[in-house]
Formats: sequence, C-alpha cells, structure tokens
Amino acid sequence: MTRTSKENNNIILKVHNITKIFPGVVALNRVSIDLRAGEIHGLLGQNGAGKTTLLKILYGALKPDEGKIYVYNKEVNFNSPTDARKHGIVLVSQELIVVPHLTVMENIALLGFKWNEKSFSRFNYSEVKDRVEKIFHMLDVSIDPEAKVKDIRAAEKMLVQIAAALSVDAKIILLDEATSPLSPEDVKKLFNILEQLKEKGIGIIFVTHRVKEALSICDRITVLRNGLKIKTFEKDKGEISEYDIIEAILGIDPKEFYYVKDVHETKVSRTKEEILRIENLSTIPKSPVEVPLANINLNIYKGEITAIFGLMGSGKTELGKTLIGLTKIKSGKILIMGREVKIKSPNHAKSLGIFYIPEDRRNEGLIHNLTVSQNITISSLEQFSKGIFIDNTKEITAVKTIVNKLNIITPSLNALITKLSGGNQQKSLVGRALLSKPKIIILDEPTVGLDIYAKREIRKLTRDMVISEDITVLWLTSDPDEALGIADRIAVMKDGKIKAILERADIDRETLVKYAL
Amino acid sequence: MGLSIRSKREIKINMSLVKRLGIEGTALYQFLSRIMLSEAFRPLAVVIMLYFAGSILAPHYFLSASNQKLILQFVAPLGLIATGEMIVILMGSIDLSAGSATAASAVLSALTYLTYGNFPLAVLVGILIGLLIGMINGFMVAKLKILSFVGTLASMIIWRAVVVWLIAGKLLYGLIPYATLAMPIGVVPIGTIIVVLIVVSIFLLLKFTTFGRYLYAIGGNEEAVRIAGVNADIVKFIGFAIAGLLYGIGGIIHIGHGALAIDPWTAYGYELNAIASCVLGGIALSGGIGNPFGAFLGALTLTLLIDILLLIGFTQYSIQQIITGIILIAAASTLTRGARFAK
Repeated sequence: MTRTSKENNNIILKVHNITKIFPGVVALNRVSIDLRAGEIHGLLGQNGAGKTTLLKILYGALKPDEGKIYVYNKEVNFNSPTDARKHGIVLVSQELIVVPHLTVMENIALLGFKWNEKSFSRFNYSEVKDRVEKIFHMLDVSIDPEAKVKDIRAAEKMLVQIAAALSVDAKIILLDEATSPLSPEDVKKLFNILEQLKEKGIGIIFVTHRVKEALSICDRITVLRNGLKIKTFEKDKGEISEYDIIEAILGIDPKEFYYVKDVHETKVSRTKEEILRIENLSTIPKSPVEVPLANINLNIYKGEITAIFGLMGSGKTELGKTLIGLTKIKSGKILIMGREVKIKSPNHAKSLGIFYIPEDRRNEGLIHNLTVSQNITISSLEQFSKGIFIDNTKEITAVKTIVNKLNIITPSLNALITKLSGGNQQKSLVGRALLSKPKIIILDEPTVGLDIYAKREIRKLTRDMVISEDITVLWLTSDPDEALGIADRIAVMKDGKIKAILERADIDRETLVKYAL
Repeated sequence: MGLSIRSKREIKINMSLVKRLGIEGTALYQFLSRIMLSEAFRPLAVVIMLYFAGSILAPHYFLSASNQKLILQFVAPLGLIATGEMIVILMGSIDLSAGSATAASAVLSALTYLTYGNFPLAVLVGILIGLLIGMINGFMVAKLKILSFVGTLASMIIWRAVVVWLIAGKLLYGLIPYATLAMPIGVVPIGTIIVVLIVVSIFLLLKFTTFGRYLYAIGGNEEAVRIAGVNADIVKFIGFAIAGLLYGIGGIIHIGHGALAIDPWTAYGYELNAIASCVLGGIALSGGIGNPFGAFLGALTLTLLIDILLLIGFTQYSIQQIITGIILIAAASTLTRGARFAK
C-alpha cells in the first residue's frame, strides 16, 4: 500500500491515451506510460512501432491528435520543443541534431546550458570551455572542445548531444537510440553516467532496439508494436525476461517472422557464377558524414541474396552508393561479369544493370508531387514512349502488372505516392527497380520504418524476385536477424571495412553481431 | 463572390449564396463546384474578379474594345516570358536573366533589321540569341553546378551590360515590320495568338512527353530522380534552353507590341514581373507544381491590375508598383497558407 502511494508521488511524467495519426498510418494508438523520478524506463519496439513518434510528442516536436500529458501531475500542452525544455525535458536524438559548422563547445553551449539565454548575451569562451571540459571529464570522454562538429565522428557527435543534454538542468531525459553509433566502451561509460543521473532523481526514457542493453540498464520496459502498447515489464516484479520481451516486440515467434527463406528454398545449389566483383576498393569521402570505404573486396554471385550487415556508420550505404557512381573512388576496381567498369552516375549504373533503392525513402526515393504510377515508371519511361511522347496505354499496362505482382495497395494508380503507407511506398520503389529490368538490385535498409507484415512481405517478395526474375540482390541491413533470415551470404561491415564474409551455413547470431561491434 | 480560399488545398463554397441563387443540386451547381474546387481555377478566379472590378471601377473605358485590345497586346510578351520562367521554376530553380535575355534578343534583332533590312533574319537572330542565353544558363546550372540564382544573376548582369554597350544611350526606331505582330484578328493581336499557341504547346510538351514528366519530377525531388537513374542534367539543360527560346520570341513580340522603338533599358525588371506572374498563377517556387496556363493567367492578372490602376487615375509608375507589390504579398500569403516554414 505504502509502496503504491510512494510510486504515485514519484511519477514525474505521465502520458495518457496518446493517439497520433499520420496519413495512412496510426503511429500511436491510445498509448499510456509513466515515468518515475530516478528511473530508467526502456521503450522498445520494431522500427515503425511508434517509439520515436512518442518521444517527439513528449519533446513538443509533434502534437498528439488525442490524449494528455502530465508533468509533475500538471497537464501540459507543448507547442514546440522550447515548451518541453521549459518543463525540464531534453531529447537526445538518433538524428544527430548538431550544428556542423560550429565547434564542439559552441554546440554544447547552444544546444545545452545556454539554450534559453537572451539573444545578445555575452558568449564568454573561456567560461564555456571550462564548463564543457568539466562535463567531458564527468563523462570521461576526450573530444577536443574546439574541433568543428562536422569534423568529428558520428559516435562523438552523439556524445556531444548527450553532453549538451546533461549540461541542461533537466528533470527528464529522452534518449532516442542514443547507443546505436557508440562503441561498447562508450556505451559502458554512458550507462555509468545514466546510473549517476538516476541517483539524482532524474527520470530517463531510453529508446532502443537492442534488447540486451535495455535489460541491463532499465528498471521498467514498455514494448510498443504497430503504435499499440503491448505491456510494461517491471524489473522489481521479476517480469523482465529476454524471451518475453522479444516475443512482445515481434508479436510472433521470432523464428517464424524472420526466416522467410526456408519456405522458399527451392533452388538447388549450382555452380556459382560471379556477376559482380569488387577489388581493393577505397573511397574518398565527399562530406564529413560519409564513411570512407577501405580496401573492400567482395564477390557477388548471380541469383543470390548477399546481405551487407553493419551498424549505422559502418559504410554499407556508401558501398551501395559507390555501385551507382555516387562516391569518389580513390583506388580499386569494380568488375561486372568480369569486365571492369567505371560507374559514373546512377544513370550509367542503370544502363549497366545496377539499380539502387535508397534507405532514405522520403528524401532519395519518392517523388512527392508525382502519382503512384508516375513514380513507378520514372526509371523506365524510355520503354513507354513513342518519340518524345509517353504512350499512356503502354505505361498503364506495365504499372498494372507491377501493382498486381507486388500487391501494392493504392486507392488508384493516379493517387499521389505520398498517400500510400510506408510499405506500399517501398513496394512501389521495388516496382520502379523491376521495370528498369536490372541485373542487380541494391536494397538499402528496405524494411526500416515498416510494420512487421510489410517487412515480411518485402522480404518474401525479394526472395520471389530473385527466383523468378533471375535478379541478384544486395541487401544492406543493420538488423542481424533480418540478414540471417534473408541472405545466402552475409558480409559484415564496420568502419568502412569488410570484417568478415560468412556463408549462411556457418553463421550464428552471436558471431555475426560480434563482427559488427 | 461565393468563394473563399481557406487553405492551400481547400476552397469552401459559400452555401448560403448557392441556396439564394437556387442552383443547389443542379447540374450547373455540380459543374461550377467542380471547376471552383480545382487547383487550376484559382488564377482564373482572380482574373474574373479583376474583370468585375474593372467594369465597376471604370465602367465606360474598361470593357471598351480598344482597352481590351490594349490588354491583350500588353499581356503577350509578359505571358510568354512568364511561361519561360515557369519552366525553370518547375524544376525548382529560378531564372533572373529573363529581363536581360528579352532585352538582348530584342536589341540584337533590331540591330540586325536596321543593318540588313531583312525582317525574317532579324526575327531568327532574336530567337537564337534567346536560345543561346538559355543554353548558357543551362550549362552553368546543369554542368558547372552553379546555383541557378547565382548563375542567372551573372547572366542578367552580363547581358544587360552587353545591351547597354551595344546601343549606349541610343533609341532604336524605325522597326516598322515588327508592327505586324500587333495587327489584330478581331480584337486579338497576332502576337497574342502566337503566344497563346506557344503556351498551349508548352502545356502539351509538359503533360505528354517524357521531358515534361522528368521536369516535374526534378522539381518534386531531384535527388530521388537522379538516384532513380534519370539523366537530370540533360533535362535541366533543355529546360533552361527552352526558357531562353521563349525569352527570345518574347523579345520580338516586345518590340512589336511595345512602342516599336527600344532603348538599352528595355524589358528592365521583367524577370521580377515574370516571377510575380508565376506566383499569382499558382506555380510553386519550390518546384514541381503548376502549369503554363497558370503562368499566363498570372501575367494577365498583373496586366489587368496595371490597366485598371491607370484607368482609375493612378498614372504614376511608382504608385502602380507599390500597389502591385502589396497585392503580390496578399496573393502569396494565401497561396502558401498551411506551410510550416518558408525560406
């Protein structure tokens, strides 16, 4: 009895029945959670489960469609992150919100302890530097406070954000996938600091997709799936077990969910025919966020799915983009069917039979002002034209075939692509690739942000495509289970290098993850 | 009017007015509501409103045949230049050289005529100069990767300087054959008919060709178009070139529909009128949205506005410009209502 009342008094943040609807998807459906003082509350779920949306609402960056938020038992209504910060809430985001052309200490000051100062107050450099150095000392990190943020590593950028958040006198800290770019040692340091913050009575919401990390640090874990709250597990009540949590996250048995391959294993192993070979390839980054590739050697065999598995910043996207001519090659060779090629542009790559479907669907994939049909045919218009004119009947026929084959759900072929759900948008991009009749399709994190059924559909579809269209696939992913489920071979990348190339038969999850960390 | 603009996409029809008119549920109402709800109707609505305003404010003069002919004569060059500007804006770029390109085409055409006395040759020279300027702009943006704002700013400065240098302080006159363009068929000058035909062809070009599809796509998301394997550089080059071609033709019509005489500052500031026409015509400056009819109607809106201001006694250029500017702000703010931020 006393315990319950004490817990209630301790609640510093309460979210009640929050609903958020985006066009075509219910991101959060009547979700309620609470946060106690001195607690680390894990928030787990698949990509697209609603974790980030919930954090953005708590931070005032999004407004909920329904529901209430209470901070210290008082209802609040955030119109912007400024409002949230005034209530002592800070966010450390996976999206790396830093100002690249300012120094580390300027960033920490502006995003952190000086965020709310008057516009023209004095910026005392030595004072700021002292303070930043103290924070770094506490965090036990060594980053040069005077370095430009654009020149530091992704992991260091995350630490800068964390330092900035800690420098604010925050009561509630929201950590969104803060550990993804960090090395295991950095994670350990961060966890020590989180423990210290707990002692001070600060409440932390810890969003992650790494179950083991959550198990080791969280007092409670809430699992979201497809915008619904599944359950809150409590450590004190002995409820936290890895198996239960993974089952809650996935909704079905993990094995059934990932292993689409076995169901479709129809191919007998035959002599391997090499379609693409990368020899000693190194690149020069064009921007500070680009990871340089170092001495990549990789053979891709016809009719196989090769997964490139690596975490954020491992260089897998850069490898994909190198194959469509978007990076600057320093040395090394690319050979297609034994012939050396110098890939100049995506247009050139397309003519060589290589098609890349980007990870960043919104910015690099979808053409927002065009219809579903126009988005699908943009890469293959020359097939549907007479002279300079587009042959509409031919175009529509081709689109209809693709829409049926890939089971794209759309109100009409002439609906804007933005009206579709994420899964159907992704399928439209796959359709775009297929119409251009490629030999090799590179799929970069093709299931990120999709709900689990769409994920499964994309995987199954890719498998079918490999078998029926004789297409070779490079599947870039940061999800080890996905890599294990879909691939014939897995290449593990880290820091722009290939750490290992594993045949499916001799891989287990532990080995795979060990290479990537 | 029974129409009020609520947000970027939503137009609310005033139901009480509809009920009073007794047309609710009729085929006429269905027809009217379909037109009024369509995006393309909005620039037309403004033009219709201005026609009402003109006939009320200057009852005897505004609707007279001579005034209508004047409007049609003056809208032609601007309508064409705005259509060229629109092609560039649809790609998400901007072209500041429109005014200078028009002037350079006009002046070189006029000089050719005055030197050789060959009118067809003079027309050809004018058009080719426009095309050349457009191609240079396209090369700068597509190949040298110069921001269109900067590249065409340089173009604007250079071509104006060329014009000033060529005819320093002089007035070119005696350009009689150009007047053919102002001869009316009915009340519509030949030049205006040419412009309308060009606007229709550009519409068809954008709607039914691969080039048009790529152009809109580039305006929507150029990065995605490139990654999709489209050679966006060629499309952009052609886009700028066609825009230049239209400025060239615009330069010829500008002489014919103007005073038949040109000075070095001819068509000065036309790029801004062209951009304003595009804004009034519902062409999104962020790219990818709009059509040539919008650009033409935007030009007509500006022309009508100036005409009405003249008729009601605002003969001073500065006052006209101030009022035009204010109306542009008002129009732009309704068009972008609902946007989260602007740059």
